[in-house]
Amino acid sequence: MSPQGGVLRWPSPQDQGDGDIQRFCTTCAFGRVCLTDGYDKRALEDLHCLVEHTAPMHAGEEVFRHGEPFAAIYAVRAGMVKTRRIDEQGREQILGFFLPGELIGLNGLYTARYPCDAVALDTVTLCRFSFPQLSVLATRLPGIQETLFRLMSKDIVNAALLGGDYSADERLAAFLLNLSDRFAERGYSATRLHLMMPRSDIANYLRLAPETVSRVLRRFQDDGLIEVDKREVHLRSPERLKHLARCVLQQ
Amino acid sequence: MSVIPVFDRELLRRYDGPGPRYTSYPTAPHFDARFGEADYRRHARASNDDPVPSPLSAYVHVPFCHSACYYCGCTRIIARNPARGREYIERLAIEIDLQVRLFDRDRLLTQIHFGGGTPNFLGAEGILAIMAKLESAFSFDPDPSREFSVELDPRHGDAQMVADIAAAGVNRISLGIQDFDPEVQKAVNRIQSVAQTAELIEAARANGMRSVNVDLIYGLPKQNETAFAQTLDTVIGMRPDRIAAYSYAHLPSHFKAQNQIRVEDLPSAEDKLGLLALAIDKLTGAGYVYIGMDHFALPDDELVRAQERGGLHRNFQGYSTRAECDLVGLGMSSIGKVGNAYVQNAKELPAYYTALLSGHLPIVRGYELTAQDRIIADAIQSLMCHCKLEKNAFGRRHDLVFDEYFAAELGRLAPLAADGLVNLKPDCIEITPRGRLLMRVVAMCFDRHLHKAQVIPHKYSRVV
Repeated sequence: MSPQGGVLRWPSPQDQGDGDIQRFCTTCAFGRVCLTDGYDKRALEDLHCLVEHTAPMHAGEEVFRHGEPFAAIYAVRAGMVKTRRIDEQGREQILGFFLPGELIGLNGLYTARYPCDAVALDTVTLCRFSFPQLSVLATRLPGIQETLFRLMSKDIVNAALLGGDYSADERLAAFLLNLSDRFAERGYSATRLHLMMPRSDIANYLRLAPETVSRVLRRFQDDGLIEVDKREVHLRSPERLKHLARCVLQQ
Repeated sequence: MSVIPVFDRELLRRYDGPGPRYTSYPTAPHFDARFGEADYRRHARASNDDPVPSPLSAYVHVPFCHSACYYCGCTRIIARNPARGREYIERLAIEIDLQVRLFDRDRLLTQIHFGGGTPNFLGAEGILAIMAKLESAFSFDPDPSREFSVELDPRHGDAQMVADIAAAGVNRISLGIQDFDPEVQKAVNRIQSVAQTAELIEAARANGMRSVNVDLIYGLPKQNETAFAQTLDTVIGMRPDRIAAYSYAHLPSHFKAQNQIRVEDLPSAEDKLGLLALAIDKLTGAGYVYIGMDHFALPDDELVRAQERGGLHRNFQGYSTRAECDLVGLGMSSIGKVGNAYVQNAKELPAYYTALLSGHLPIVRGYELTAQDRIIADAIQSLMCHCKLEKNAFGRRHDLVFDEYFAAELGRLAPLAADGLVNLKPDCIEITPRGRLLMRVVAMCFDRHLHKAQVIPHKYSRVV
């Protein structure tokens, strides 16, 4: 057991997952499908059979690229993935970060092509779900369909979070709380966050200058809201962060 | 926390032997020539990626000395022509330009240390030129708590030099004394008067410098308790903020100049212990606090306060109140530490110059810390700085169960505990007052590179 008492450790890339033919990995996006009783065991096994565990990818490698035909969605098993678009002038725009248990590639459904790149931020392992097969299976397993709808809707909400005219403080507080919720949902600590992404990516995602990200975090630290140690951020007062981010979170 | 170390002669005799000083972990002999410029650049860039990147610290090595002190084990070049210094400053400027590009502009330079060799070989104007170059390249921390320090050889400095470098922002100096006894000074080829030394210390105070450090050495040829007691009294009378009393390591096969020292002039191991006992006794008696290893400081010095609040750190310059800095090594043979990597520059002038003139960083070796190295480094740091390792906090910090992770180390500590050097409590490991002078021996129990190597190499100096 981990010394934090029941909180899952950040999975290392060596972790080969704890799933088997009957059960999904603890962190899996489809985990809750299996938890519900009464499903056709045969269909569950089919779902497991169409999962492909990919070989570990290293920082900077692309899971898929903008414009490639949409063929599969991916669940992150270990590590962190970012999605991004690169504009005509070569400027990168970060669209999101994906933690273990989260799905990437769903946004390819609309045009049947991926609308962005997905890039590993560190050593990453993934589960690949072939989409045509998954959608056939979804007709037999309503849980899958529900999960897909729920995740798509969550993507839309997350994207809306940072669209408004918010201050740097509000954006960063909301960003930390959003990550905290997502970590907690997967069984990780809600107050000790490991930020795998570089500061420049956080800044880009929040539409702030990198110096501003650090300046605000340092001030949060001085005010006792958080404690930063290298890539670890400890939320010392989630309540006060919520108060700061209330305008963003109301959305 | 200001515990006076217990001087247990029998124990010191028994545990004395070669051992690393742990100004880094892993120690410099483990650095690897396969680690090159591209690796360093990758680590330096990645160090900008933390949510709040560390501030920067710079170490500037000035390798030249006017004459050879026979005890010296530093990387240095004996020179007379000041033009060699000017040439060096020009090349150093190239290195600064190459280095500064690797770091984001908002990373403040909050610590500078000039070491040597003899930094004042370059004269005040040389030191000023380097300071100006650093200031134009990096963003200087405007906070007055920044630490800009220079090692000075009092034989080649005066009050004016101190005033000049103080005006450029230098707020600490460190002076070599070693011993004021003329017999010892003759035997080590370093004749330095009390008056020369006192002039610089007074000038430092007059110019508002925050701290003065002096270095002493025990175990030098011709040294004896009577004369060394006098040196200690004189030094205490000058009231420097910090005093380092180093043990002389006689390794003539490694350090050529030491061949000039006659072995028959060296104090016996017993006499050397006597000199150490005397230094501890006199310094603590005069109100100095023993920090650890060779270091003493006045009770209101930042080092003492940092140790009291648990914020002391150890780096290549000894003890420091700044943990979080990335250290940029500049100059021939300098060692840097950036992110998770140690790196060292070429140790000879031609190689150092050639690399820079072709637009490359003069890196010859380095080391990328593994996850395990970082855990061990933290444990050793904790012991060397605070004489204590709290198991629960440590376990939480590194996500491990202490007693399981360190089972082998706890086994190695058991005989030390039986001898009263450490207390092995269920929730923490503590170095006792009796073990404080042997903290290197305690730290060595955690050194997995050392225990992998089986034999402790003789390139390390003796622990006492």
